[in-house]
Amino acid sequence: MLRRILAWTAAVIAGVTLGLASAWAVLQFGGSAFTERYGNWVHSRAAGSSAADPYTRAIIARAGLLALSAREAVYFSLDQDEHGRPLSESCIYELRGRPFDARWWSVTLYADDNFLVQNSDRAHSVDASRASNDAPWAIRISPVRGDATHWLSSREARRGFIVMLRVYNPQRDFRPSEQSLPVLTTVSCAGEPA
Amino acid sequence: MSWGKYILGALIIAALVHFAAIFAAPRVIMNVAIERIGAAGMNTWHISERVTAESRQIVRPSPDFAYSACVFDLSNGPVVITATPWDDYWSLSLYAANSDNFFVIDDREAHYGAEITLVQRGAAHPEGASMIIESPSTRGIALIRRLAPTPGTYDAAKVVAAEDACDSAARPVG
Repeated sequence: MLRRILAWTAAVIAGVTLGLASAWAVLQFGGSAFTERYGNWVHSRAAGSSAADPYTRAIIARAGLLALSAREAVYFSLDQDEHGRPLSESCIYELRGRPFDARWWSVTLYADDNFLVQNSDRAHSVDASRASNDAPWAIRISPVRGDATHWLSSREARRGFIVMLRVYNPQRDFRPSEQSLPVLTTVSCAGEPA
Repeated sequence: MSWGKYILGALIIAALVHFAAIFAAPRVIMNVAIERIGAAGMNTWHISERVTAESRQIVRPSPDFAYSACVFDLSNGPVVITATPWDDYWSLSLYAANSDNFFVIDDREAHYGAEITLVQRGAAHPEGASMIIESPSTRGIALIRRLAPTPGTYDAAKVVAAEDACDSAARPVG
């Protein structure tokens, strides 16, 4: 009798543990099922899409709660340079882009904790109203501004920061591609020959 | 002693717990947001401060927008939501308690602002309302985003946002 009770107790504990662990794994890693890559840019279709089933809904709620629908905005993120190295405060980068088939765009720099970098430079974001959506544009990503017209400050961003591109009100025929998305180039890194 | 029934039992429990957790997760996550935003009152707009490096409530906030949020509660009847027009991009999005984005309108469609009457799905539609939207849940979140990338445009957006309404239609007038 005691053995049966113990065996059932063990079965219940094992079942609950397995159920919770598998659900956690789906939420933790399931987001990659919605990921598309364009060069080093990563686009997640999960943010802002409408849920078709409970799994999609759970993944969306975790990855992009209160995000806009894809008709309103599409999001792309970049966390490595053209050599596949994590983005670093000790490097100077240039991000060059062309006009999008969209109404407006912005590029924002986030620290590795997904929040704005803790510096007082007021250079967290550059958008189409400051750069342009009619002509090619260039943004310098560096810890100091120098002579840059458009600048994103990476001061205090250390290593592993993220550059996020938002494209608002994309045209119906907006199709992202490696060619149409901005290109990041490493200009120089401290301690390395340029 | 046969182990088969215990293993089968554990697997059935695992499947039930798995589906329950997947079903509950978006509702729990959304409920945290509803409680957080609604703590200062329901059926009223809360205008967020300009996003800075100190803004750490929601991940990856955009510093280019002025945000207003309203937790709507339809348990006392319809709620009237209005969005005052803004001379650049703006949108009004509605999210249900299970996190679904069930409605969105932007300035391309609503050039002169939006006025919607939100009713619980299946409830009677009030007469005379111009635009009626059915909510799949009793509670949820309405969010207005106004493009305001500079301190000056943010201050102007805040003035415009003060004109938005998120009011229970049952509230006595006068």
